[in-house]
Amino acid sequence: MNEKELAPHIEDINRALKGKVNSEQIEEELQKFRSEYRISLGDAKRAIVKKFGGDPLELYLNPEKKINEIRGDERSLDIKARILSLQDKEIEIEGKPKTIFYGILGDDTGTVPFTLWEAKSLDLEKGDTVHLKNAYANTWNDQPQVNVGSMAGICILDDHEVPPFEREPQQCMVKDIREGMRNLVVTGRILSLEKKSFQTDDGEKDLFSGVLGDESGKIQFSAWHDFRLETQQVIRVTGGYVRSWRGIPQLNFDDSAEVETLDDSEIPSSDVLKDSSNMTISQLARRGGAVDAIVDAVVIDIKTGSGLIFRCPECNRVVQKGACRIHGKVDGEADLRVKGILDDGTGALTMIMTRELTEEVLGYDLDRAKELARDRMDQDIIKDELEELMIAQPMRIRGNVTSDEYGLMLVATEVKFKRIDVEAEARRLLDEVSV
Amino acid sequence: MSMMRREVAWRIFADELNNSSLETSGDDERSPSYIISPLGAKVNRVYAVGVLTEVDNRGTPEEPLWHGRVSDPTGTFFISAGRYQPEAATALSNIEPPKFVTVVGKTSTYRPDDDTMLISIRAELVKEVTEEQRDYWILEAARGLKTRLEAMAEASKMEEVSVRELTALGYDPTLAEGIKKAAEHYQTHGLERYWSMMGDALRYVLPEYEQADTFDRPAEAADEGLTDRVLDVIRELEEETDEDGVSYETVRDAVITREGISMSEFDEIISRLRRHGKLLEPALGQIKSAY
Ligand SMILES: [Zn+2]
Repeated sequence: MNEKELAPHIEDINRALKGKVNSEQIEEELQKFRSEYRISLGDAKRAIVKKFGGDPLELYLNPEKKINEIRGDERSLDIKARILSLQDKEIEIEGKPKTIFYGILGDDTGTVPFTLWEAKSLDLEKGDTVHLKNAYANTWNDQPQVNVGSMAGICILDDHEVPPFEREPQQCMVKDIREGMRNLVVTGRILSLEKKSFQTDDGEKDLFSGVLGDESGKIQFSAWHDFRLETQQVIRVTGGYVRSWRGIPQLNFDDSAEVETLDDSEIPSSDVLKDSSNMTISQLARRGGAVDAIVDAVVIDIKTGSGLIFRCPECNRVVQKGACRIHGKVDGEADLRVKGILDDGTGALTMIMTRELTEEVLGYDLDRAKELARDRMDQDIIKDELEELMIAQPMRIRGNVTSDEYGLMLVATEVKFKRIDVEAEARRLLDEVSV
Repeated sequence: MSMMRREVAWRIFADELNNSSLETSGDDERSPSYIISPLGAKVNRVYAVGVLTEVDNRGTPEEPLWHGRVSDPTGTFFISAGRYQPEAATALSNIEPPKFVTVVGKTSTYRPDDDTMLISIRAELVKEVTEEQRDYWILEAARGLKTRLEAMAEASKMEEVSVRELTALGYDPTLAEGIKKAAEHYQTHGLERYWSMMGDALRYVLPEYEQADTFDRPAEAADEGLTDRVLDVIRELEEETDEDGVSYETVRDAVITREGISMSEFDEIISRLRRHGKLLEPALGQIKSAY
């Protein structure tokens, strides 16, 4: 470890020893423990504090931080915050299932994502105000996040201990909307709108949901109040908040929000917006998903279970060797699909193409595919042909992108092979860099 | 929230990949390790298109281990596929070189000593493609190279390279991390070499350059005598051993002692001999003269 990497640890030890020992001496000790004796950093720190007559427990006590002070490299972190959202998730660690919790924490200075790695006996709920002790922070996609591991302590506080977050409403482009954001101002055109009714304790209520778009992208929204919205309207929502569904951020607004109708010229027409959502896979990953995204990429793998497949008539699952996992031996119904890996050099995602798009790429329909497979007595030839047609070909794919613990998934609505004039592009690039 | 992310497949020229000497392991066993290229590509998986020039089975007929060499305009990718990559292994066994192929796979490294890192690709997918597809890949790889060169140039202006600042300039966070690591590990001068490599690679797809041997850089001719002497050393050492080839370190130590050249000059000569097909690599870390 170099000096810079050691610095925060020396600071920790210094604090635990209340400045009784000078930093050079601590550094010398730490180097000795680390380099000569190969003692782990945690053990070394404890040992040094003890050696100089301090209490190693002090290492874990930290000055409290506000959320906007979190750098993302704190090895030990104390914060008081409110749980703004909380979800659980089953993951697998060394083959064993484990439940973890994740969500967003907020205080009066900002918000930060957090993960609770050890299910505490404590029953935490959204809205709880908590004191986290000895949590740690790291960064993901350059954003700090808080981790609550097995060494951490949590206690529930009175609500008034953390002042509410009251920031000025924040103007935001659609592509920049992230889970956990609140008090947003978003301007866009309503591209689609649908009214759903549902029962509540106070009787029937209406929910207006649809898709809102601006130059930067599109987002699903839910209006929990009748704002007399109409398709094609250009609106400005002040006081929106964001919730995610399968990784796709969704804009919500209720009767506490303000909705204004703006002049039609404020936002491009829906024809223009239709093709505006070209994104890299890295952008999609950071965002968690998107509605009607366009991706330029190549297919670098076509997975088993692509091509001609058979589905259980009962449950639609793909049948393996004539048997459904649930319903046993069944007479499977033929279908075509592609499950492939799409990669654009910035990231990768799983792409699903349904029967219609698969037929379009193959240039023939399901019946013909069945015929071909029967003639050759080989179901796999359709998959082989798809590989032949698609792998390492530049493509433009359109669809909805969602995410879960297995990563990003795009369900394609449009698949195009791109014609690229490599020679012209190469000349353009050469002119640009003049090498 | 952490999710399982499939590692991106880097479009990277063989020369840049093979010149990498930095590897990062993740924070814990579950996180993957990456090769950091001299220009900050943070590579775990590679997507390459080139000419498959050699294939051979270094396993047994029952349990084959296929090795292959794939050339791009800048150098050679060393690829392999065994029983854990059955589809790629079958594909490799069925393709008769030379052919245009695409290869997707994870990088693996071999360190004969502290200063040397040899890189190969464990192929997950090998598939024959067309020349047009190869040309398109060169274009994509050149674009990626340009982005990295520009990011390195930005980084060199910074007093301390900052991921945050690079991201603010519009670079992908993953690349920004790689750039920071590369800037700390590699010497940042001498990047002009990569600019001219990019130019050479792009000219390679233009019809007027079809016959030109863009593989050779002008500086190479001057060293012709030295290159021959290195080959002589290898042949001499081969005569002293019964094994198939000589270890990389043995050759290096002998050459450096006799010729007084630097480690990187030596690497340069070895990779040039490989590109020209004058050296073979019977096993990773072993070299032998082709004739
Ligand atoms: Zn079934």
